[in-house]
Amino acid sequence: MSSQTNPLDTMILERTEETRKERAEKVDFKMVTFSLGGKEYGIDIMNVKEIARAGRFTYVPNAAPFVRGVYNLRGDIISVIDLRVMFNLPVEKREADAVESLLILRVEDHVFGVIVDSIDKVVGISRASIQPPHPIFGDINVKYIRGIVENAGKLYIILDIAKIFSPKAEKEEHPAHYEAPRVEAAPAAAAGTRSASARSAPERSQTERSAIVDAEMTSGFVKEGLFSFRHFAVSAVNDAWFRARYAEWERLRKGTDLQLHEDGDADAFLEGFLSPYTGTLWGADYLDAVASILPDTDVRSINVWNPGCGKGFETWSLACALRRKYPQARVKIWANDSDLLAISMAPNMVFDAASAPEPYRTYLVKGMNGWTFDQAVRDSIFFEFHDILNANPLPPVDLILCRDMLSFLSPEDQGRVLADFQEKLKGAGVLILGTNETAATGAWRPVGSGAVSAFAKA
Amino acid sequence: MRVEYINPFVESAFNVLKEVLQGEVKRGELYLKSTSIPVMGVAAIVGLAGDVEGRVLFDMDKPTALKVASVMNGEELKVMDELVKATITELANMITAQAVTKLHELGFKFDLTPPAIFTGENMEVSDQDVEALIVPMETAQGKLEINVAIRERG
Repeated sequence: MSSQTNPLDTMILERTEETRKERAEKVDFKMVTFSLGGKEYGIDIMNVKEIARAGRFTYVPNAAPFVRGVYNLRGDIISVIDLRVMFNLPVEKREADAVESLLILRVEDHVFGVIVDSIDKVVGISRASIQPPHPIFGDINVKYIRGIVENAGKLYIILDIAKIFSPKAEKEEHPAHYEAPRVEAAPAAAAGTRSASARSAPERSQTERSAIVDAEMTSGFVKEGLFSFRHFAVSAVNDAWFRARYAEWERLRKGTDLQLHEDGDADAFLEGFLSPYTGTLWGADYLDAVASILPDTDVRSINVWNPGCGKGFETWSLACALRRKYPQARVKIWANDSDLLAISMAPNMVFDAASAPEPYRTYLVKGMNGWTFDQAVRDSIFFEFHDILNANPLPPVDLILCRDMLSFLSPEDQGRVLADFQEKLKGAGVLILGTNETAATGAWRPVGSGAVSAFAKA
Repeated sequence: MRVEYINPFVESAFNVLKEVLQGEVKRGELYLKSTSIPVMGVAAIVGLAGDVEGRVLFDMDKPTALKVASVMNGEELKVMDELVKATITELANMITAQAVTKLHELGFKFDLTPPAIFTGENMEVSDQDVEALIVPMETAQGKLEINVAIRERG
């Protein structure tokens, strides 16, 4: 054997080297680059109609905050959008009539302007060199990013203009990517699992197999009963709890009648599901457990979303926990519930001082009818009569507290709400669910010690 | 919608209707609605600005509007003329203004826009990102719906 390199290998090596070079040199994608909040971005040049410098936009009342107004572009009235506001990036303070850099974009038939910090140049690259976005690009939601590309030592984030601005694409963005067993189709689901378990154990005898089928049928009926009596949907959110509880239920009922026939049966089954301190102020242990999950850094402002707050006990408890942990911070809690009667009571909660646990005493003041929380705590909470399944117009939040609410939505709605949580929560934010609920799927990872069911974006 | 806003609207609608119609008024169950809402035929709208943004819509069908206007004017009105429209607009103004006064006392600052009235068949109203609180009111003259959509300014 000679020590010479195999000529064939060399040829292959050369060929790949060539193709790589070809790939790098072939310019088939041009983008206009610009900066936003100190970072470099690009937009496909096919979407850019022209660039302009303009100011004094005509203000439009009641428009979304990122709409700066309208602008007369040689006779055409176009709307002007501030991308920095849209993506919550810092905006430099400018004179009211300062001239801004404007990219005039065209998406399908719409023409509009976007304001950016500064427009750089046109860069030609190869489509193949665009890399997919990485989920840790915190500033801008990943779904709006088409990819990343390196050019002349600079990294450019390429924005997907069509996705950002076309309302149609926005709708398609919300598929029920959260698989959950459909409750309405429980018998069918049971049939599905039946075949799965039969496959996994082909050697099982006929009688054994039919016993398994029976058991699955019954658990399917129990699921149906929970949904029709208490609108409790068994899904990935609470499946672990349901299995454990179902085994316990079988022991309790000693194989007699496992099925749920009325509201009372469903309540008995759900006993123990609700999180600690439901319908009452949190005790010191739970306050500490929640506080331990929150970051220890010094924060100046905290936005919290508390859907399904009920009578508001958990909201007040959380407000006090946040005041204790971050005395300097500006806390804002949007608490909502679709139960009008419960939420109506929430803003005017009154105690006799003896019944309030010790940690709350410092935040109580004496009112006309008893003790209430002081003005600073009151001012930090907005109680709203709101249905979470309608649009949730909230700014990005640092914390979502949603205990024992998801389980009472249909599985499709659970998926939708979790997707909305994913969108509204800031990169380092925390989601707290009920003690027996979990969001641990691809999009979420558990955090904390386990005393509180808490999750962060994966 | 903030809980504090609900009662002022319900109360002022109840009080004003009772006063101008001189009869029994019954409040229906409150509920929330999003997406597009059909309008019954006559709709008076009052915009709100200030700490919040939004609007209040007073919705009723044509016969109800005629009957309400007849009672308020003390004469029988049979066609949807300027007088009827002006009367319904005024009713909307009275109810909203009284609610806003109550809210001022609670420390919330709202401004009103002049009311506008829409009439026609098969109309619907859509507010993209806002859900509306519906307050149904039963009167001797017919059914009215007060549709309040308010959100905090972001």
